[in-house]
Amino acid sequence: MNNRGEDQMIGAYWFVIIFIVAAAVVYMVSVFYGHPYDVRELEASILINNVADCISQKGELNKNLIEEGKFNSEFNTNLLKECNLNFNTEEVWKDTPQYYIVVSFFKGTEITKAVFSLEQGNSNLLSNCEIANEDYQRLAKCVTERFYSTSNNEQYLVEITSIVRKSEKNVK
Amino acid sequence: MEKRGNILTGNIIFIILNLIFLTLLIVFIFRQGAGIVTLEQSYAKQISLVVDSAKPGMKITLDMKEAKDEGGEWFKENYPGSVRVDKNIITVKLSEKSSYSYSFFNDVELSVDVYPEGKVFILIKEKNE
Repeated sequence: MNNRGEDQMIGAYWFVIIFIVAAAVVYMVSVFYGHPYDVRELEASILINNVADCISQKGELNKNLIEEGKFNSEFNTNLLKECNLNFNTEEVWKDTPQYYIVVSFFKGTEITKAVFSLEQGNSNLLSNCEIANEDYQRLAKCVTERFYSTSNNEQYLVEITSIVRKSEKNVK
Repeated sequence: MEKRGNILTGNIIFIILNLIFLTLLIVFIFRQGAGIVTLEQSYAKQISLVVDSAKPGMKITLDMKEAKDEGGEWFKENYPGSVRVDKNIITVKLSEKSSYSYSFFNDVELSVDVYPEGKVFILIKEKNE
């Protein structure tokens, strides 16, 4: 009689353990799959590549960007059109642009002051780049790339920073 | 003799219950990983990234076999509309109740064809103003 009672106790105890394990597994799986795929860094890198392809071809700056050694300020106004970009997004973000792109040109070795810059999108996102911390995943993602290009035998360092927010669809 | 029989039956029931529990747990994990909602999000973002990196004139083929398997009857009947493009927003819909949209920034025009076996053909064209 005693043995039987002990067996039943062990059985009940075993099911309690199994229930706790199941709850833990369900919780972990829900947390893992409940997070959306975060593709913002990839998007920002692709945006940089697209802008770089449009600004410089075969190591030479775009002819519409620089004419007779002078930067054309109209290129900035038409940047989206020139580079085939469309910053419109889903209805959720129709009032706040989710992208920002800034291109700075530095002449020769003077990399402290840009001689010209282009920018389009939501400049408020720029402040997000100053905080690079795991705890602030909901902030926009920033990616910066640099490369050299030439025009009329002048060498320019081009720095492109691209920022993508879209936090609601990429972070929980 | 009777006591032995009782112990054996009890153990068998115990083992069967454990096996049922483990099976349900494994099925749950696999279903979560390949759920319709996860697939819709994954395909919408994949297509949007591929379009962002594409140039006009490119033809892209995407295999959405998992969508066909998970979508079942609904996919068989509605496959042509499972991937839609509205301006620069991609929408993937693999069931009656859910869909997922994601925007792309490459200013191009797309022509999307979905085939019953789950293949998606995307043609990237220059935008006509």
